Amino acid sequence: MTELQFGEPWFGIPWLDAILRILVVVGVMTFTVIYLTYGERKVVARFQMRLGPMRTGPYGIFQGIADAVKLLVKEDIRPRAADRWVFEFAPYATFIPVFLVLIVLPFARDWGVRNLTLGLFYVFAILGLNIVGILMAGLGSGNKYALLGGVRAAAQMISYEIPLVVSLLAVAMVAGTLDLNAIALNQADRPYVLLQPLAFVIFFTAMLSELHRAPFDIPVAESEIVGGYFVEYSGIRWSMFQLAEYASLWAFSIFGSVVFLGGWAFPKGDDWPWPWQLFLTFVKSLGFILVVMWVRATMPRLRIDQLMNFCWKVLIEVSFALLIVNGIFLYYDWPHELLALVNWAGAIALLGFIGARGARKARVSQYVGLYRREGVTAP
Amino acid sequence: MITEVLWWIFAAGIVASAAGVVFSRSVIHSAIFLIVALAGVGAMYVFLQIEFLALVQFLIYGGAVTVLILLALMLTRTAAGTPRGVSLTGPHWPFALLVGSGLAAVLVGAATATVWPGDQGKPSLLPIGRVGERLFTDFGAAFIVVTAVLLVALVGAIIIARQEGSE
Repeated sequence: MTELQFGEPWFGIPWLDAILRILVVVGVMTFTVIYLTYGERKVVARFQMRLGPMRTGPYGIFQGIADAVKLLVKEDIRPRAADRWVFEFAPYATFIPVFLVLIVLPFARDWGVRNLTLGLFYVFAILGLNIVGILMAGLGSGNKYALLGGVRAAAQMISYEIPLVVSLLAVAMVAGTLDLNAIALNQADRPYVLLQPLAFVIFFTAMLSELHRAPFDIPVAESEIVGGYFVEYSGIRWSMFQLAEYASLWAFSIFGSVVFLGGWAFPKGDDWPWPWQLFLTFVKSLGFILVVMWVRATMPRLRIDQLMNFCWKVLIEVSFALLIVNGIFLYYDWPHELLALVNWAGAIALLGFIGARGARKARVSQYVGLYRREGVTAP
Repeated sequence: MITEVLWWIFAAGIVASAAGVVFSRSVIHSAIFLIVALAGVGAMYVFLQIEFLALVQFLIYGGAVTVLILLALMLTRTAAGTPRGVSLTGPHWPFALLVGSGLAAVLVGAATATVWPGDQGKPSLLPIGRVGERLFTDFGAAFIVVTAVLLVALVGAIIIARQEGSE
């Protein structure tokens, strides 16, 4: 395996180096999150043939900053029924894990805050922790809708964590390492999405669910439970939930592009200097985010039973089958081309299955309520 | 030096939050104190330079505490907690004390009686592949038995927790 040096410490002092790197990453993160809120409104608006925000600055480019200022000066309200400490600490418990994940992401060769040999494992160990914050928000608000949202989020995130982790493990088996930089470097010739498309499909689906994005935005469904677990929050605490949501979207997109699309290393990343590597990371993560928004603008929200059935009856089985197939292929050293072929077949079969199920006609045997009384029969 | 100071701060934090688990009047608060205590243990592993165990601690107990909160909600039906003035202990408290102190005595006795091999260099440089080999190849059968027992225990807990006649 290739030995990787994660850059020399800046100024030769490790702790100063760590603080500076963290400051740079946090600065970039804040800027990115402000512009992701603007970008999401703009992209969804174009999908719906609207203009989106246009008033604040040319093409509304200052909308995100205006929103941030508005949120910071808004009154911070705590409901009387709320459980005080649980309510007040929930935003931090949600945000801190997302922030910790940013530490290991490689933005370019030798450029991240720290490189861990267990980077991949670190990411999914830490990401699991922000369920606790969401559950705290739901339980501490003293609000039935918030409780429903929190419990829905917990059920959904615990379930979808399994296929997410297993699909990443399948890739780690092929890569033979858990080091994110080494995984990226291994893909200098061909990204793993070509070799493991089925893992990519599972990862992307589970990622949408972990991020509470449509069509899995059941914990934050406005039309069902008003707004989910953060319904009682306002001002800066609410904006911390928002920040955590967009920051994790950003972190997941960079993480996904490193694991599946080759990160900074494909194509030519190792030969050309760091501006090209940063550009590759930027373009790939932007593509990821755009697809997430595209899915949001296209798909209707699932029901909670459909969501759980899809995870436990389809995704988990497929991901375990993938793990076993990968294990057999790697143990007997069968060629990678054959493995890729099997994976492509699996990915096409999974997508075909989802498409076929989605295209089924609803089976309505009888109408209920007013329709039944009026004697309307089903078509 | 600074590591030692931090170590003692974390140790005090772990003990304090463990006391919080026992003495707080709401199940939810207990569970949150529990995750603080378990995360503190994870941080201890970082001090000992065993990153792998620290991450395992976060991964397992992060999810486990969430499930614990959900089970507490399902089983007790009172998230509000015991009101002030009502005793937290039931009639079984002498037995609980006996079991608790007995377990503590066994653990402390075992820890002090064992001769530790001492400083073995940096444990974080342990090859993880070797750990996996030991676990899944050398002790494969034991591993499978343990997972089966855990699965049965989980399914049993859920069946007891549901308590529904028929749907």
